[in-house]
Amino acid sequence: MMGKLKVYADRMSQPCRAVLIFCRLNGIDFEEIKVDISKRHHLSPEFTEVNPLQKVPAILHGNLNLFESHAILVYLSSAFPGIADHWYPTDVFRRAKINSVLDWHHSNLRYGADLSLVCELTQLEVLDEKDRGRILSPYKKVLGWIEDTRTATNPHFEEMHNILYRAKKKFQQQRSRIAESGTEASNMGGHSKM
Amino acid sequence: MKLKVYADRMSQPSRAILIFCKVNGIDFEEIHIELSKRQQLSPEFQAINPFKKVPAIVDGRFKLFESHAILIYIASAFPGVADHWYPADASRKAKIHAVLDWHHLNLRRGAAGFVLNTVLAPFLGLPLNKEAAAEAEKVLTSSLSTIENIWLKGDGQYLLGGFRPSIADLSLVCEIMQLQLLDEKEHDRILGPHKKVQTWIASTRNATKPHFDEVHNVLYKLKLRLSLKQSSQADGERKSGIKGPIISKM
Repeated sequence: MMGKLKVYADRMSQPCRAVLIFCRLNGIDFEEIKVDISKRHHLSPEFTEVNPLQKVPAILHGNLNLFESHAILVYLSSAFPGIADHWYPTDVFRRAKINSVLDWHHSNLRYGADLSLVCELTQLEVLDEKDRGRILSPYKKVLGWIEDTRTATNPHFEEMHNILYRAKKKFQQQRSRIAESGTEASNMGGHSKM
Repeated sequence: MKLKVYADRMSQPSRAILIFCKVNGIDFEEIHIELSKRQQLSPEFQAINPFKKVPAIVDGRFKLFESHAILIYIASAFPGVADHWYPADASRKAKIHAVLDWHHLNLRRGAAGFVLNTVLAPFLGLPLNKEAAAEAEKVLTSSLSTIENIWLKGDGQYLLGGFRPSIADLSLVCEIMQLQLLDEKEHDRILGPHKKVQTWIASTRNATKPHFDEVHNVLYKLKLRLSLKQSSQADGERKSGIKGPIISKM
């Protein structure tokens, strides 16, 4: 008899959310064990035993410990009764197409997902330095994460945000001109949706 | 209608598919797509794979790309493929999926990026990128350590403690073979510390002979060409007294 499924997750992580949602939707009986990445729980000896690669999500099902969200989703689709066929069809052709998308996702969309979030935050760049500092400075981790994603996706990141940086420069120039001329600063409409 | 495999033998995942089909006696037609001549951009090939990448297969009216999906499909859809390649057991299968998933952003990203940006780019009409090479090397060495210490843990000499190879072994070993294109010193520096990895490569090669070496022939020939070029450059430098890197890394 398999023990209850344990899902090790940090809800800040997209693949973790995918696994949790899948379990909930399919009425799978499981225990969610929170692994707080920001508190470095994933580096603890207890969690390292579950996943030596120290990443979430990970699951423990009886004797099986498993990580990599796609592998987990596929395993759960097959291991639990009553899961609708459409999630991971038994038909070999349909299944192959799904596998193809899951593979492609690794190299393409996942970077895109983090990227789109960081892109949102980068829009704050067009604000005056002081405003941006005020808004973002309490969030050291966010700043760190932006930097990490930026580094991971350069040179494309910088290239894509060039237009934003140019806009920032323009606004800065406009602000200086206005400050010099003594005109009251009107609403610049700082974050245009890119 | 015969299975069609669109491949360039310079492409690591293409080689994995070709070797897998040959080892399992699958009747197929290999259609060569020459990446260095940008044949993947032809309208004919785009009709097969709109993402313009090799490998791709056509089985009757069914088209498929992404090498892992292809390996799984062939293992499942063709009779006579031994169970060890892609086991029916749900737990073992899940572990293989985990390795294949991990591979994308780790070994593949590191190995392919490093070889591309230190050696291969000019053959594809691209510039060498020193920064990308350094970044890729970090990912590569970390991935090799992970294989050495985690994936090769267990009783057997294959990944996940297996006694026979799986599609994961074939996929990852074909990736590492690309490192053959590096000059001898670089190659030994990177692979040298990983004894289990070296044994595992040899085991996989042995388990799939003679097809492994036959499919890798193009790579071996290019390696020879590059090493001759390197020696003659070194000779030239010695004669003229100019010091410099043997292969320009820029």
